[in-house]
Amino acid sequence: MSGDTVSALELSLRVAVLATVVNAVIGIPLAYALARRRFRGKAVVDLLVTLPLVLPPTVTGYYLIVLLGRRGWLGAPLYQATGWTIAFTWYAAVVAATVMALPLLVRTARAAIESVDRDLEKAAYTLGRSEWRTALEVTLPLARNGILAGLVLAFARALGEFGATLMLAGNIPGRTTTVPLAIYTAVQTGESAAALALVGILTALSCVVLVVAGRLGARAT
Amino acid sequence: MSERLEVRVVTRLPGFTLDVAWTAGDGVAVLFGPSGAGKTLTLQCLAGLLRPDTGRIVVDGRVLFDSTAAVDVPPQARRVGYVFQGYALFPHMSVAENVGFGLRQRPRAARAARTAEVLERLGLADLAARRPHELSGGQRQRVALGRALATDPALLLLDEPLSALDAPLRRALRDELRAILRDWRTAAVVVTHDFTEAYRLADRIVVYDAGRVVQSAPRSELLWQPASESVARIVGIRNVLRGTVVKATPDRIQLRWRGQLLEAVNSPSRSYLPAPDSPIAFFVRPEYVRLIRKDRGPADPRHHMNLMEGTVVGDEDFGTTWSLRIRLDAPGTPAQGDYDVEVEVPHLVYEILEIDRDRRWQFSIHRGSIHVLPA
Repeated sequence: MSGDTVSALELSLRVAVLATVVNAVIGIPLAYALARRRFRGKAVVDLLVTLPLVLPPTVTGYYLIVLLGRRGWLGAPLYQATGWTIAFTWYAAVVAATVMALPLLVRTARAAIESVDRDLEKAAYTLGRSEWRTALEVTLPLARNGILAGLVLAFARALGEFGATLMLAGNIPGRTTTVPLAIYTAVQTGESAAALALVGILTALSCVVLVVAGRLGARAT
Repeated sequence: MSERLEVRVVTRLPGFTLDVAWTAGDGVAVLFGPSGAGKTLTLQCLAGLLRPDTGRIVVDGRVLFDSTAAVDVPPQARRVGYVFQGYALFPHMSVAENVGFGLRQRPRAARAARTAEVLERLGLADLAARRPHELSGGQRQRVALGRALATDPALLLLDEPLSALDAPLRRALRDELRAILRDWRTAAVVVTHDFTEAYRLADRIVVYDAGRVVQSAPRSELLWQPASESVARIVGIRNVLRGTVVKATPDRIQLRWRGQLLEAVNSPSRSYLPAPDSPIAFFVRPEYVRLIRKDRGPADPRHHMNLMEGTVVGDEDFGTTWSLRIRLDAPGTPAQGDYDVEVEVPHLVYEILEIDRDRRWQFSIHRGSIHVLPA
């Protein structure tokens, strides 16, 4: 395999792992809040989290540029303060993958948390546990398989992210070219052998992910 | 003397208002009534899982909730144990972990000792390592009780504790539950919609109907002196009938019913003196109606008061007793559909009198067995 292929693989795994970790940190509390809490703006949060699932990825990418680009709402102040912008760095690929994968985790984890019998939580409260301890000791352990299935799906989505990544991170070989972008480039430039190798690797990974997620899902129910 | 438990709760929900007040002393108070009467809602208010709109809840002199004083102790600090309908055992924990769950604040050694003690006392020691799904219904009930009792709660709440069980098991576990509650001497509130269950478990029964308390009384008083016709119907008393007052004195009430002149005992302590011609409800327990034997000569009205005659229009075998539905010879619509009085006789009597063949009977009701219900 060529150096570009290896670097694309290495970058893709790094991006997907990081995006999955960020997903876990943001997505699990978010799923819990959506499943169990009542708060102002809940419907809006739910909509914003789910939107990337139905929007064309390039549209999501466009919004990310509007938000984080050098002249973006958050990006401009950051650029003025530090002279640094996230656009066209590999961090941008992590952001894009995170946003695209989040709805898969949140929806799966939320359904798993909602299926936990509320009487179990109430029992824990009457036995002296705070809501926080109850979530850690009762709700989340019982929703574990659904949450893990959601993380596996999120990882797969992050690994295959193309459109939003291209918009925010570009396609800079060795720096922001993930495997899906490398496949696109290889096909465009007629390097069919490289394309085939990467396609094979992604297909195999996706199969593994589906099997794992299916097993976890089956055990969850 | 102030009671151990004082409950006054008003909660408005969409389409339902709970507005109840009752007190209970030592022992077991049963909240009894039809489904949807607000019994479980009351338990949730007691446990702090639901916040009433207004009210006051006091357990052993400790105020857990008082809307006027802005007191609302969270469920974690109430020391109120809750046995849920279906038990709500933690499925990912062993029996021992379930029972020890409420003891987290205690040092590890004390926690283990208390868990072992509770398991031993409830006969669960051999099952300590099992998971809830490996237990029988009765074992689950004991684990749920153990988990709630391990923390020495000031009050124990049980929501339909036997409804998850099969009928034969229910009866055995009802008595086991009764023994455990007596043994641990914890004040308890039990919710049920089964009157037999309520009667077996209770010291005091609080009757709920449509979000209100219609009567709160020691269990025997409830059975013999229901506060009203509707309470009598809710607790499942049979032969609840309506007549007209002829004359009422402090110790007798004469009333007219289905063309018959009946005499009932009035309770001087209650001094219930309805005006002549006013409507009056009363009940007669089916097992207190006496059939007149035909082989002993004609009935003597001096010995057989409230004498009537009718036809058996239906009978049902309840295993140890027969229930007979008798229709009076009087003209007019029968009092209870196609019959006037339900009479219960033991199997032996049914066979000796050959009731399956002979359907015409005279019967009498002692005046002490006609219970007048206050309007």
